[in-house]
Amino acid sequence: MDFTFSEEQEMFRAMFRDFSAKEIAPQAEELDHEEKPALGALRKAAQQGFLGATLPEEYFGAELDYTSYAMLIETLAADSVSTAVTLATHVSLVAMSILNHGTPEQREEWLPLLAAGEVIGAFALTEPDAGSDVQAVATRATPDGDQVTLDGVKTWVANGEIAGLFLVFAQGAEGMDAYLVPQDTPGLTVGYREPTLGLRSATFNTLYLEGCRVSEANRLGQPGEGGSIAQQAQDRMAVALAAAGLGVSENAIQVAAQYATERVQFGVPIAQKQAIQGYIAEAKIEVEALRYLVYHAAWLVDQRGDYGFDASVVKAFGARVARSVTNRMVQVMGGYGYMEDYPMARKYRDARALHIIGGPTELHDFQIAQRIFADLDMDIAP
Amino acid sequence: MRIIVILGRVLDPSGIVVKGSAGRIFVNREEYLIQPADACALEAALRIKDGMAAEVVALPRSPLPDDDILRQAIARGADRAIYLTGPALKAADEAAMTGVLTAAIERLGGADLVLIGSTTLDTGQGQLGLRLAEALGGAQITGAWQVSSADGQVQAVLQRNGRYVAVEADPPVVVTLLPGARKLRYPDGVRLINVYRGVGEVGDALEAWDAADLVDEAALTPLVESRGKEFAPERERGVRASGTPAEMAQAAADALRQRMRR
Amino acid sequence: MDFTFSPEHIALRRMIREFAENEVAPIAAEIDRDHQVPMETMRKLGQVGLLGVCFPQEYGGMGAGEMGYCILMEEINRVCTSTGTNVGAHIGIGAMAIYLDGNDEQKRRYLIPLARGEQFAAFGLTESGAGSDAAAIRTRAVREGDSWILDGGKVFITNGGYADVVTVMAVTDPALGARGGITAFIVETDWEGFKVAREEDKMGIRGTSTAELVFEELRVPHENVLGKVGEGFVTFMKSLDMGRLTLGAACIGGAEMALESAVRWAKTRRQFGAELASKQAIQWKIADIATELEALRSLVYRVAWLVDTGQPFSQLAAMCKLYGSEVASRAIDIALQIHGGLGFSRDFPLERGFRDARIGEIYEGTSEVQRIVIASNIFREHGVRIRP
Repeated sequence: MDFTFSEEQEMFRAMFRDFSAKEIAPQAEELDHEEKPALGALRKAAQQGFLGATLPEEYFGAELDYTSYAMLIETLAADSVSTAVTLATHVSLVAMSILNHGTPEQREEWLPLLAAGEVIGAFALTEPDAGSDVQAVATRATPDGDQVTLDGVKTWVANGEIAGLFLVFAQGAEGMDAYLVPQDTPGLTVGYREPTLGLRSATFNTLYLEGCRVSEANRLGQPGEGGSIAQQAQDRMAVALAAAGLGVSENAIQVAAQYATERVQFGVPIAQKQAIQGYIAEAKIEVEALRYLVYHAAWLVDQRGDYGFDASVVKAFGARVARSVTNRMVQVMGGYGYMEDYPMARKYRDARALHIIGGPTELHDFQIAQRIFADLDMDIAP
Repeated sequence: MRIIVILGRVLDPSGIVVKGSAGRIFVNREEYLIQPADACALEAALRIKDGMAAEVVALPRSPLPDDDILRQAIARGADRAIYLTGPALKAADEAAMTGVLTAAIERLGGADLVLIGSTTLDTGQGQLGLRLAEALGGAQITGAWQVSSADGQVQAVLQRNGRYVAVEADPPVVVTLLPGARKLRYPDGVRLINVYRGVGEVGDALEAWDAADLVDEAALTPLVESRGKEFAPERERGVRASGTPAEMAQAAADALRQRMRR
Repeated sequence: MDFTFSPEHIALRRMIREFAENEVAPIAAEIDRDHQVPMETMRKLGQVGLLGVCFPQEYGGMGAGEMGYCILMEEINRVCTSTGTNVGAHIGIGAMAIYLDGNDEQKRRYLIPLARGEQFAAFGLTESGAGSDAAAIRTRAVREGDSWILDGGKVFITNGGYADVVTVMAVTDPALGARGGITAFIVETDWEGFKVAREEDKMGIRGTSTAELVFEELRVPHENVLGKVGEGFVTFMKSLDMGRLTLGAACIGGAEMALESAVRWAKTRRQFGAELASKQAIQWKIADIATELEALRSLVYRVAWLVDTGQPFSQLAAMCKLYGSEVASRAIDIALQIHGGLGFSRDFPLERGFRDARIGEIYEGTSEVQRIVIASNIFREHGVRIRP
């Protein structure tokens, strides 16, 4: 087992850091407070190849391995979890779904555009009555000759407001199907943008599909394969979100530790106080544990086996660490951890999202237990 | 001017759940409110008192197990309240209460104006105000939105046939107030604490009178005997339609057509 | 031991609940969204006498004691933490200092209008270099004839932007430090030399004013010294002790809000063919919140009784604040999680509760300060002196 990053990966990390410091960090606070997507930064990211991070060169992607890509997400999240989530939705949920399940024609048509950032991808699975329970998806795909009509409502569509392409999941004759629906397709309306606690520079919209007709050729994969496509996408996203959790946690510790060296109370910097030392140390322990869990999971993605179990573990742990660490680091910063003109409050609000987006932690707990009991030949129900 | 306000209590409906299928009422939270229409009557009385010299006295609509709503009335501004007690009062119905209340009002020295809610929330009863008016020998104004007093007379506003009608009467008058006519003001904090402690300016405001001192026992016998309660009998259930809106509409249309054929 | 509330306190709670549901709950979302202090509601609270709930009737209050004040804090915070914070800073520390250490003249002049809600109060202790280390304040007060001249400033002062009266702690003798060197002053905010410099942009309790105050040659008459010169430290410690208890009460309200939301949603929302309430993960979380809430409730009202019967309560008050803030934070976190995506949306009140609750472990003495106080008291009984 070689636990070192390759020279190339270390180079990437340095490059990601430079990029984030220059393009993401300076506006992160303002974009969050004004709830604006970081479109300028996304364009710059596209120029660096980040929007096609894991796509092969033939589609103008950067052909990064998933570990390097996880590093990218981690680095961006240190400055803006919103931007990291936006990018991860685009790459892990949408672009890689097309890469893994698309026909050569579909890949030719969409991947270069996604890699160039000319089209941003959005993922439309969740519905008002289908949150954790994906089987309850009610959006219908009704065949109509060589076309398909999509009818239904999707909520919490990440990247909804800025997307040019929607990956929509609907119930067809043989089970759930996945469809590629361009934003300008008649019958598709991007609606209400959710005002959120955190991730305020990301966009989550309601999507209306009313007699939205697409060609049958827009279906991704085989009829009835939608469920599997969605699960694999979410497993990839789980690893990315855990990487985001890692990034925001590590950065929170750095910011709070720096503050602790400067803030003097009772005659000494608070870094000299054992309780503060304890908070920082415990947070660091959690972050280190998460770090190797994330990279291991990212490595598994590249092995192309079944890593669903590990995805659930890393996502659940990543959410837990991000919540716990940002909460503690707010406490280290005291009143300044509560003020929006300091970065910690935003990190706290953003980190809280990780227990919910990409599947609530309770669902991941269930999936982990399901695997364990399956190994003992028992089926458990949610 | 002396204004009598008649107040009853009712279980807070937000604390109960009625389950017809089980034939039961589940009381999850037992809290009592002043009858909403009676609360309007109290607020109307207090408003008159805001504008002129008046004494507001609260009396109970029916036998009460405790004096809480009367203390509430004092906290909200009533000058006095009389808690009618006594074992003979227990089974009193509206007819019996009319006798007791009339005697109590007489003992207070009479009333220029009696305000009471037009209906009760739980039993939908509206006769007490009318009976009192008859017993007191004064005018009755029922279902008022508003009541006021000027130039020694009582004015009220009613709704009749989609129009507002203003009426006027000489005291003594009984006016019944519609629920929703007025929102009852909040208690005054100091009055509230003091009336429950029985101290301060309102220390003596609440008195307890034994009904047996006011009327003969014979007068307390109820006219109506309650023999029990039960839910309405089961009736034929309807058709439940499910599916898409189009499917549901079709099922509903089919069911209606079926019914019409019968 | 009689664990029942007295009839007047039961009646008081019902009055406050009625007020809270009709007057406070409807504005809670709006004042958070618009970053507005609910002045109208504060005035209404004053009109019914609630802003003087714990002060004696002879000074314009209701005379309902600390018990009454805890009930007020619980019921208001159950529907709106911002309004509760405005009320708490006004009664619990601002006016409270005057009640605890003011002379009769000061109480008549200041406490009566504050108790009636005709004027509003704030407590001016914290400075940029003196947060947890409150004794490290540097605002200076220098005697000049029959006045004192104050120079310096305060930060993070709740109600600071609109208070009429602020109880300000200043250093009157730098050489003596906390013991003997700090004095409390009653300052009227329309005096020359008093300025509100800025309002903070906070993550939560956005319906409150958290202001920076600046004093430039602010002249305060000697008769506005609160308590004795040099004994300001004692005044502010006493006020903070009272404040800690009532913050614990506020957290009962916050935790109740969370528990009620969680239960309502769990019984309504269906996933995988059943209500969330049928899921053990949800049941466990709700059972845990409910248990902690009851423990907090018992602790807080017991301490309120200690205060009202003149018994020592300082140690337990610190525990109320420490435990309460942590219980409320856990409760709202669980309630938010139970609501899933809706918990994260600003169209639902959970995320506001989440943002609001977080300040609980920070203001009016961080949880770290509370732990220092609690541990110090324990070790002092064993003859060991702990320095923070």
